[in-house]
Amino acid sequence: MRQRWVRIVLLILAVLSTGIALAQSGGELRFCLRSDPKTFNPLLMADDASETVRYLTGGVLMRLNRLTQEAEPELATSWKVSDGGKTITLKLRDGVRFSDGTPLSSDDVAYTVQQLMDPALHSPTGDAFRSGEGRVITRVLGKNRITITFPAPIAGLDKLFDQVAIMSAKSPQKEMAVLGPYYVAENKAGAYLILKRNPNYWKHDSSGRQLPYIDSVRLEIQQNRDIETLRLERGEIDFINSIDAEYYDKVMAQNPAMAHDAGISLDAEFMWFNQVPTSPLPAYKKAWFTSTNFRRAISEAINREDLVRIAFRGRAHPAAGPVSPGNKFWFNSKLQPHPFDQKSALQRLAQDGFHLQDGVLHDRDGHMVEFSIVTNAGNKYRERMATMIQQDLSGIGIKLNVVTLDFPSLIERMTRTFDYEACLLGLVNTDLDPNSQMNVWLSSSDNHQWNPSQKTPATAWEAEIDKLMRAQASALDAKQRKQYFDQVQEIAWEQEPFIYLVNKDALSAVSPSVRNVHPVVLRPQVYWNIDELSLGSEVARNK
Amino acid sequence: MRGVLKLAAKILITVLLGGFLGATLVRLAPGFGVDEEELDPRLNQQSIVALRQAHAPESNLMVLYFHYLDRLLHGDLGISRTLQRPVRQLLVERFPETMKGVGLGLALGWTLGLGLAVATVMSRAWYLDLSAGILAGLLLCLPAAVLALLFVLAQAPARLILGLIVFPKVFRYSRNLLARSSALPHVLMARAKGLGNLRVLVWHILPTAAPQLLALAGVSVSVAFTAAIPVEALCDLPGIGQLAWKAALGRDVALLINLTMIVTLVTLVANSASDLMGNRFRRAEA
Repeated sequence: MRQRWVRIVLLILAVLSTGIALAQSGGELRFCLRSDPKTFNPLLMADDASETVRYLTGGVLMRLNRLTQEAEPELATSWKVSDGGKTITLKLRDGVRFSDGTPLSSDDVAYTVQQLMDPALHSPTGDAFRSGEGRVITRVLGKNRITITFPAPIAGLDKLFDQVAIMSAKSPQKEMAVLGPYYVAENKAGAYLILKRNPNYWKHDSSGRQLPYIDSVRLEIQQNRDIETLRLERGEIDFINSIDAEYYDKVMAQNPAMAHDAGISLDAEFMWFNQVPTSPLPAYKKAWFTSTNFRRAISEAINREDLVRIAFRGRAHPAAGPVSPGNKFWFNSKLQPHPFDQKSALQRLAQDGFHLQDGVLHDRDGHMVEFSIVTNAGNKYRERMATMIQQDLSGIGIKLNVVTLDFPSLIERMTRTFDYEACLLGLVNTDLDPNSQMNVWLSSSDNHQWNPSQKTPATAWEAEIDKLMRAQASALDAKQRKQYFDQVQEIAWEQEPFIYLVNKDALSAVSPSVRNVHPVVLRPQVYWNIDELSLGSEVARNK
Repeated sequence: MRGVLKLAAKILITVLLGGFLGATLVRLAPGFGVDEEELDPRLNQQSIVALRQAHAPESNLMVLYFHYLDRLLHGDLGISRTLQRPVRQLLVERFPETMKGVGLGLALGWTLGLGLAVATVMSRAWYLDLSAGILAGLLLCLPAAVLALLFVLAQAPARLILGLIVFPKVFRYSRNLLARSSALPHVLMARAKGLGNLRVLVWHILPTAAPQLLALAGVSVSVAFTAAIPVEALCDLPGIGQLAWKAALGRDVALLINLTMIVTLVTLVANSASDLMGNRFRRAEA
């Protein structure tokens, strides 16, 4: 009798679990891309749209877990870094096949690495691996074992492989044969892309079911953000990966279950002054901008709390330095945002001979302190921030003019003509490791925005940053690297070549029909666990 | 025959000049030759230099024209820098979409515009004239972009927008033309003799207004094509209008030179065709 009841209960459980499994399967997930992907070659992807496609279709050796921020095995089941950080030996997973059925072997990894490191390719992903001059040597040790030797040690080597989608050396489909959860099935330029479930995807859930749960992903090309939000409200798309604070509040008011705030993102909004010696600015302005006192005074005269409260509706945090608190390991917790203190700002300015005359600030030679700040047109948050900074600086007698330019014109001024005084922009951090910021901090780099491509460091503190950045890049011990980079952050805080203003929150809006969503601060915030996402049975759209 | 050849040569020269003028303006625009990717902190110095050098052939206008003509003679329209794809492929994919939109817009605009103009003139009803005039006036005041946004908000089919842009222009012009034609002495005489409205319209009013209406047809094609750019960009219709918008934002010379030529060509062919047909009408009437 008791056994019969046990059987009945087991039967009911089996039926229920089948029901749950069926509810999880199938359907089409839909979201928007801002533009067409520029390329399907995973090694050349640099734009957001292409990177989205790479994330959804590419199979990688290790994947950075967006939740724990640690590297986890994917196509490589284990790896060992040796030879002082120059060599990595990888053991590949058995029985993995590309979407077209071609088996994965270490030859494919060797092929991908050789392609990636080809200097003629100019791959942004490949450049992240370039720590020194010389060739990269790949040695195939067997079907599933390979050793890759780089010419110089690379700190944080394993995490860099998160960006490298392995390509097939033999498949006739070339880069369209993939190892990720989906493959590109249809591409209507300017309209949409359809990704279908990869029938050979190697991952299975704990019950042995092949992942991903969702059959297909439809990526709609949608440039206009307002229309994108309208489409989410109408249920035409399932989520928006990154939304602004204004829309977040609207979603919160209408349907709180849809709004997600993952906390402080890695992105920062900041401004800087043009310190290029050859810029067409008058000498007295160059003198202002190269003065640490002047930069610190400007920083202290800006009310970051107000920027957060008004421009970002409280969905941001005052920024202290180049690393956001969202970056758990690399953030220097000793640093605090510069407080709003206009009295202290005026004292600093007085040290450099600046003085107030009828409420207007003048330098020691009698020049009225007035400058312009450029930012990209169409970004309403930056435009609002610029207006608020303008108001704050008027409090210490400085006249600030706000100039908005379209992006190509802005880049031309920043990188070619240097015809600007101050610039307000944001940095989108896709990588946790400070090595990804190497080209920003090295004084010889083209992306050292305030004074790029220096032959020798213009200041002692820039020379110190150069030394510390190189030291952290060659050290293998994570703690040692952290110490070096903490010092870089402290110098940046002290000298303020970039005046960090706010770190935005990672905000997203997701339809309740999407299950198992856990938005995080790292990109891609919403669909980082794409193979585990599912659509609710009541709304699953089997098309 | 000689006339047609002369016209074709005129069109060809104008199209080339239009394309080159477009390219010159893009070349001289601020922000030409810069890439957003230059700000990618992962890129090392060599890669940034390579990125900048990729624009070198486009920086000299004479070299740019020469290379473009050379490629054009070999049937190659170049590669779009912003979309990293052959321009020919992009045009083949997107031109039909725009043609569908423009075709539908013209059909709708003309049906509504001419239909209302005929109804207004023939019925001589003041309330019809007033209401049609107000509607046309309202639509004339609305910029194409605003109309596109309204359609997006109302979830209305975006392809109808071009029809509403063409309609007021066709209505106002054709209404005036038909009203003037219907006041001509021979039309008044025909009416006095008791001819029916339809016969007066078909035999006496329309033939008189035909040359100008054909000229208006030519103009309406260029109106629809021009309006397609903001409409496609805002409504995300994958046509050449959307392509032109992206090309302008990205200072994509290869794409813009070809798009300018296409728009110039379509405008010139439409206007020339309407001129030729109008002349035939006039000759036939004489």
